[in-house]
Amino acid sequence: MRNVLVTGGSRGLGLGMAQRLAAAGFQVVALARKDSDALAAARAQVAQEGRGALHFHAFDLADIDGIGALVKDLRGAYGPFHGLVNNAGLGTAGILASMPDSAIEQLIRLNIVSPVTLTKYVVRSMMAAQREIGQGGRIVNIASIVGSTGYSGLSIYSATKAALVGFTRSLARELGPLGITVNAVAPGFVDTEMTHTLTGAQRGQIARRSALQRLPTVEDVAGAVDFLFSDAARNVTGTVMTIDAGNTA
Amino acid sequence: MSVRPIILENIVRIAQQQKKPLAPLTDELPLLESGLDSLCIAILVASLDDSLGVDPFDRDGDVAFPVTIGDLIGLYEHATA
Repeated sequence: MRNVLVTGGSRGLGLGMAQRLAAAGFQVVALARKDSDALAAARAQVAQEGRGALHFHAFDLADIDGIGALVKDLRGAYGPFHGLVNNAGLGTAGILASMPDSAIEQLIRLNIVSPVTLTKYVVRSMMAAQREIGQGGRIVNIASIVGSTGYSGLSIYSATKAALVGFTRSLARELGPLGITVNAVAPGFVDTEMTHTLTGAQRGQIARRSALQRLPTVEDVAGAVDFLFSDAARNVTGTVMTIDAGNTA
Repeated sequence: MSVRPIILENIVRIAQQQKKPLAPLTDELPLLESGLDSLCIAILVASLDDSLGVDPFDRDGDVAFPVTIGDLIGLYEHATA
């Protein structure tokens, strides 16, 4: 079974992707600070279905200095990794002018420095494993439509998501000769814990302004990631898949 | 086992995999003229980190990048000594 690491895999979008990739036959390691009841239930379900595998590994991605050792541990425990989904992130909202400096830095570290550093070590691990498992691999970065549109109160978050898209395109160029694809998925507003601060009225407004008059779901986003990990996507790299029910159409 | 054959074997394998024509490998051969590009060097460093457990470049830039194949081997011999 090919191994895939999904960060922020204990809840929300990350959990949905982890479940979907396990169902597609991958051995998925869901990385998160803490286990969750939902992830435990998903593990039991995956074990029962007997296709793919789902594990939990505890790690706080704010510990950037520990990321190199984390990747070595994971490789030791599960073997070489075929794929990585950089999904973990903070969704801190706030008007820039009144945002504490420490919150700005924390958001940028966790949403950009952590995934970029993790990708570095996973890519090194993929390079070193070529002798065992051959060339190829998949990296998916979870961006957001606000990285290319805009939403008041999300300026720092948006900056980190736009940065991830730039990272995606250049890394796709860099890793193309190794057969590793690098893509981004940009969801619109999805109903998860991260967007719980939106009011019902705001949700209604976002849905009304979307071409399909609704919000995308966790399953829609997980489906896009599933596609990018499939053989059908072997020639898709350096691109952004927008899953927003037509909000930016 | 000496690191020299491990490094040379990795260089040959990576160059073949990346379809880079390799110059005859001697200690005096400058890395820039070996046929390896920056991606090949990155794969080499990652592979050696994996098999030897050392990365002499992972020290915040205080290591001078080796000029020749012999310098590269020397760097790893020093790091694993």
